[in-house]
Amino acid sequence: MRAVVVSCNMVTPYGLGADACWDGIMSGQTAISRLGRFNTNAFHADCAATVDNLEYLRKESLVMQMLRSLFDSVPVPIPRDARLMMATIKGEIDLLEKSLLQGTGDASSCNLGHLLKKVADITGVEDRGIIVSAACASSTAAVARAAAMIREEHCDCALVVACDSVTEFLFSGFSALMALDKSGARPFDKNRNGLTIGEAAAFALVMSEERAKQEKREIVGRITGWGLSDDAYHMTRPSSDSAGRVLAIKKALKNAGIDQNSIGLISAHGTGTVYNDAMEIKAFDAIFNNKPPVYSIKGAIGHTMGAAGLVEMIIALRGLKEETVPPTVNLKDCEEDAQAWVSSGSRSVDKEKMALITSAGFGGINAALICHK
Amino acid sequence: MVTVNGIGWINKAEYGCILRNIRIAYDDKSRLKKEIFTSSYKNFGRIDNASRITCYAAALALKDAGIEYSQNRKQDIGVIGTNSRGSLETDINYFMDYIDSNRTSSRGNLFIYTLPTSPLGEAAIRFGLQGPLLYIAASDNSLLPVIETAAEMILLDESTVMLAGMSREEEAVYFVLKKDSGSGQDVLCNVETAMSILRGSRALDEMLKEFSVLGKGENQ
Repeated sequence: MRAVVVSCNMVTPYGLGADACWDGIMSGQTAISRLGRFNTNAFHADCAATVDNLEYLRKESLVMQMLRSLFDSVPVPIPRDARLMMATIKGEIDLLEKSLLQGTGDASSCNLGHLLKKVADITGVEDRGIIVSAACASSTAAVARAAAMIREEHCDCALVVACDSVTEFLFSGFSALMALDKSGARPFDKNRNGLTIGEAAAFALVMSEERAKQEKREIVGRITGWGLSDDAYHMTRPSSDSAGRVLAIKKALKNAGIDQNSIGLISAHGTGTVYNDAMEIKAFDAIFNNKPPVYSIKGAIGHTMGAAGLVEMIIALRGLKEETVPPTVNLKDCEEDAQAWVSSGSRSVDKEKMALITSAGFGGINAALICHK
Repeated sequence: MVTVNGIGWINKAEYGCILRNIRIAYDDKSRLKKEIFTSSYKNFGRIDNASRITCYAAALALKDAGIEYSQNRKQDIGVIGTNSRGSLETDINYFMDYIDSNRTSSRGNLFIYTLPTSPLGEAAIRFGLQGPLLYIAASDNSLLPVIETAAEMILLDESTVMLAGMSREEEAVYFVLKKDSGSGQDVLCNVETAMSILRGSRALDEMLKEFSVLGKGENQ
């Protein structure tokens, strides 16, 4: 059975809704700004991309605040029989911060199992669900698993939910790794110097095409292929030969039963770190002769970690619908090797073509998804 | 059909391989590295406990399945795992260390182990595993969705071989799953049999006993 997306939405630093995120990216204005959530004096950067009006270290975690606003706005109820997949890297880690900083609450309440139960409750699904975590490729991997379960006829409806938030825990960690760009992430720019963390929550309701047709659901997009791999090289640095990333993309193309000429746009992981962006272009160069347009949205909304892959898939599907490749926000002076691929402006895409979405994470994880209208 | 071709395990007193019917008691943890790994493991002392125990069980599973490994020879073998508490201990260690510095400095070498996938990443790097890498957790901490997902990945040709398993506190178990090639390779059981055992047994010891019976049956 073929897997299709019948409903999806997101909360991002541009606000509630995929439309707000799409319009924000297309405007070319970044949502990265000075971070006021906690003191950043000790860190290598002081900016992040955050969602407005969230309360930090209060009653409810940041991700639950985002998820509540997201599911309060779902136009069509989520089917109760949907299988639930929750993608995140640190979930409610601010509950642990609160416990250790304020001495209130239980540090173990940040356990991902607790979050899974809360998400099942607010979405109304009967399934107790599973957590899928693959570092910053978590939601890409979760979408792949949902599509795999549908293809193998293990289920005909799956709800993928993804979230991560900007917390002192994560910000201090990325700062310790010298991974943050003081000026805000500038993917594929000559002067890029790191990533900017961002926060988001998103969901995609994935169904078999048969069930979607039976229920007369609007099909937002089709998930046609996926590939997962690991560099098996280093915990935080991508492999210099790009072999793991190439392997994930080749697996995705094979899984989709297509060749490289079918890809019309590439939503890159594009974090803005020196190594990631260089290795990513090297990987694309090894596979694509026709150089399809590449873009990254991380200069616009930051690196939303476990939520990034799903947010990027939704934006890529919007790009296919609008026949438009979004601009790479914050790109000023393009890296030489990337000039044939990346642009700070929007471009057009052939309506018959498909989108490739690539993600990567600590531990050498790589993931690739192929989608089309 | 997907088959189980090896199981490696370790607890706080013993380690072993099911198909090869190996069970060895130990009382000196510092000897484990030499006894279990087939080649040197640089910087092993720097990795966290969850990563160590995962690497031990993964190495034993590969040995049980007769799969040679090397950090420098990459193979399309995936690794998928779960555990009972995510990365809670390392999360607390990392953030307490940061608080102890008056929130002025944090340590990257602690931070990188605050992801539930970090032990799996260590295993992938150490053993040259270039296949899919995933952490999966169900609300009841069951190993079942891990084995199911690994089998699904093999059936869909996402990987040719999968290491799949779990760790909890001082014990870990990893399975090697493959597509049945019918070439007479050593097989412990098919994946459906493995899942029926997993459905019935909760404790590691209990589960291992049931798989050991299967292993002895195959060897006789």
